Amino acid sequence: MVDLRVDAVSKRYGETTALADVSLTIADGEFFTLVGPSGCGKTTTLRAVAGFESPTTGEIRFGDREMTGVPPEDRDVGIVFQSYALFPHMSVAENVAYGLRFRDPPDGQSVDERVADLLDLVDLSGTGERDPSELSGGQQQRVALARALAPNPQLLLLDEPMSALDARLRERLRQQVKQIQSDLGITTLYVTHDQEEALAVSDRVAVMRDGRVEQVGTPQDVYRRPETRFVAEFVGENNVFEGRVAGHAGETTTVTVDGEDLLISRVDATEGESVAFCVRPEALSVVDGAADGSGGDTADGGTLDAPANRLPADVEYAEFLGEAVRVHATWNGRDLVVRLPNEPDDAALTVGFDPRSAHVVEGDR
Amino acid sequence: MSWVERHALGVAAAATAAVIAVMFYLPVGIVLSEAVGIAPGFPPAVSLDAFAEVLSDSFYVGALAGVGADPFAVSRHADNVASWAAAFLAGEAGLPSFGLFGFTAYQALLSTVASVALGLPGAYVLARFEFPGRRTIRSLTILPFILPSIMVAIGFIAMFGRRGVVNDLLATVGLGPIDVMGTLSIVIVAHAFYNAPLVTRVTAAAWESVDARTVETARSLGASRRRAVLDVVAPQLLPAVLTGALLTFVFTFMTFPIVLALGGLRLATVEVWVYNLLGNMNYREAAALATLETALSLALTYAYLRYEARQAAGSRGANPLQRVPLFPSLGALRSPVRLGVLAYAAVVVVVFVGPVLSMVWTSVTGPDGLTLAYYEFLVQRQAEGSAVQTKPWPAVRNSLTFGVATLAVALPMGVAAAVVTTRKFRGRAVVGALAMGPIAVSGIVTGVGLLLGPVFGIPLGGGWRLQVTGATAIVAAHAVAAYPFVTRSVAPLLGRLDPAMVESARALGASRARALVDVELPLVAAGVVAGAAFAFAISVGEFDSTVILAEGSQSYTMPVAVERYRGRRLGPATAMGTVLLVVTSVSFVVIDRLGGRFERG
Repeated sequence: MVDLRVDAVSKRYGETTALADVSLTIADGEFFTLVGPSGCGKTTTLRAVAGFESPTTGEIRFGDREMTGVPPEDRDVGIVFQSYALFPHMSVAENVAYGLRFRDPPDGQSVDERVADLLDLVDLSGTGERDPSELSGGQQQRVALARALAPNPQLLLLDEPMSALDARLRERLRQQVKQIQSDLGITTLYVTHDQEEALAVSDRVAVMRDGRVEQVGTPQDVYRRPETRFVAEFVGENNVFEGRVAGHAGETTTVTVDGEDLLISRVDATEGESVAFCVRPEALSVVDGAADGSGGDTADGGTLDAPANRLPADVEYAEFLGEAVRVHATWNGRDLVVRLPNEPDDAALTVGFDPRSAHVVEGDR
Repeated sequence: MSWVERHALGVAAAATAAVIAVMFYLPVGIVLSEAVGIAPGFPPAVSLDAFAEVLSDSFYVGALAGVGADPFAVSRHADNVASWAAAFLAGEAGLPSFGLFGFTAYQALLSTVASVALGLPGAYVLARFEFPGRRTIRSLTILPFILPSIMVAIGFIAMFGRRGVVNDLLATVGLGPIDVMGTLSIVIVAHAFYNAPLVTRVTAAAWESVDARTVETARSLGASRRRAVLDVVAPQLLPAVLTGALLTFVFTFMTFPIVLALGGLRLATVEVWVYNLLGNMNYREAAALATLETALSLALTYAYLRYEARQAAGSRGANPLQRVPLFPSLGALRSPVRLGVLAYAAVVVVVFVGPVLSMVWTSVTGPDGLTLAYYEFLVQRQAEGSAVQTKPWPAVRNSLTFGVATLAVALPMGVAAAVVTTRKFRGRAVVGALAMGPIAVSGIVTGVGLLLGPVFGIPLGGGWRLQVTGATAIVAAHAVAAYPFVTRSVAPLLGRLDPAMVESARALGASRARALVDVELPLVAAGVVAGAAFAFAISVGEFDSTVILAEGSQSYTMPVAVERYRGRRLGPATAMGTVLLVVTSVSFVVIDRLGGRFERG
């Protein structure tokens, strides 16, 4: 096992820049995820680590070893693709054994023992003689995982491995992958466009956009403390407000948004400076619209010095999600998303939020 | 891992490029340099006189000769065109003639029209109707493509000749005789024999990939059945029809054995005339003519490749149009469409089955009924023939030897070219076009170039000479002609493989070459074997360059022997042709069993 360093890597194809100065450090044994919309460079990064793309500039290191010019077959990585890429002319066992033609099984095991162990690890004992096409999609993906792990690689690379599977299976499989990963303690680079999946399994996440890394952090960090407006909106849903600082009072700062004053936790900004902040849909709640100025219905019982924020909004439509209702509304001509326990009774409602639940983000680049 | 294994693919690609360069581009370059008459010295003096002579000779270019002689006298030429147009409109002048080039293009155009007319109904029947034997007939459409052209010519003579099967049949009912030999019609029918199945294959494949839902959508939006076909199906077929037509034009523009055997010098095309000039040792004029012909066909092939590249390789529709039974009941035979299909079937039998059967029939019938005399002639010639006579067994042996040798060379070349051209890299289009060059250059040109260059010997300096024997040159010419078909059989399958498969193998420790052997080749095996059968069949049937390179040597092959036996009586030639048919049919069975996929190229 080994740590992985991606150091100032850029990749250009003619005029197009796929990666612009990407740097990442992934600790030994860490489950690290690259997440972002399609075309953000996450797959290019993974392919550069695997040796299928050579960086235009920058370095990739496995431990102390600089990997420039090392062909994929000498990198000792296991890779799993979205398409499974099982060899259709080989049985399941032959697929798993393929990498053992080039590297000896660990711990003096025989090839057959190793294959049996791996199929057991992914819960597919007894399927060795079958053809890959006889297995379901989820089973095929587990064969691909067993094949990638069989030669005991120093790195595991997973390129959208769940995207071709249905939602329920995806949830089960990702926990299985996570379990195997932490049992083996193998350094893992995982690529997905699905931010929920990224939050669910990763030790740390890098959010990418347009060939750059926007933010690196634990799932909790990127969800609760997004650094940029892009991260705030890409990871989960968010309401982003832009305005100018009107003044500070105690623990709060007043921000004027479209002529309305909103209170957020105190920020380090001078009066008149423009700021953007976000409030999660679940941090918004319904307050009594009639009792204007009387203090809001805050999460911890309304012990604020200043009155809570009150936003009279018009309901556009509501989506019933089962465990909650997602309400799309407009306030002052801005779209708001609110997550409520029940459908709203009226076409109009007033929502409020605790100043402490607002989080300041960097505006758009 | 050794250096060799790590770089095996690069080495194979470099070797392929070297063979193509030395055995194809060098000979073609020699033909060109012969034509421009390069004089020694530095820089070498180049003379374009030979081209000027050809282009200003009304024998070659007809009414354009004046333009060729003085290309910049634009206003005079315009005046001439205007006065001709006035005379033509007044009914005082006919269409101008454009000489040998004009005639070659004219017969190619007529052949293309005939091939499309004969091929399209076949595509309709194969794509839209279900009937017993449909799959067999569909796979039989590859057959004409690999039948040796000289054998087909013999078949047409056996069928339509003065004493051919048709005239025999007409005589029994008191009609005839008809004499179509040496006419343009018979040449065009023979060209349609070759190329109509090509049109059928590419069009049927396109028809089968039309998604039935597009038609259903059009119908639901208010289009009538006829209108939906016109608006939705026809535009999806058009590219395939144009592809077939363009290829047909290129092939028939370069036609040689068909015209040589059925038309003679009176109907000479450019290619036949080049051969004739060579026979008269007029290398310079032959080279100039061959160069101009090659330039034209290269331009057409380039246009074709550009066009093909723009047509995204249509994948088979997940939901193809449903076929209807051809003969659901006896009563259905009264429908005009089905009567049309029956009439078409009759034409198909006459044009396609007739010549082949006639050849076999003629080989076993004499003036006094059934006979094996012609086969006995072959055996006797083998036993008693003198050293300068063409014997059957060396012809068979040479054909088989050259076929196997061609296979051994063309297969790795074709696979290497397929691997290289399915990769994405800058300049891929150029490399792909260079690799497909041999399709656009006639066997005559390659043959002449090999003869003038490597066979006569090329001084390399320091007392070294590059010189190859006639047999080596023949194998080289065959391999160069055949490998594009290997590439075209393998590349589409290779291109459809999930690239993640090779990447998985490499991440697991396989070198690029090892991944090719372990993963890709087993998965495209059908294409490799089909390509191999193509290569073998093309070598066995190749005539154009072989007849030049085998001249005066013991390296003659079966098609050359057929041509030499044709001289006196038809019988021995048909017997030799039947032997050739058997050998070619075996190759066909292999292609069919393993799935030839030329049309998906």
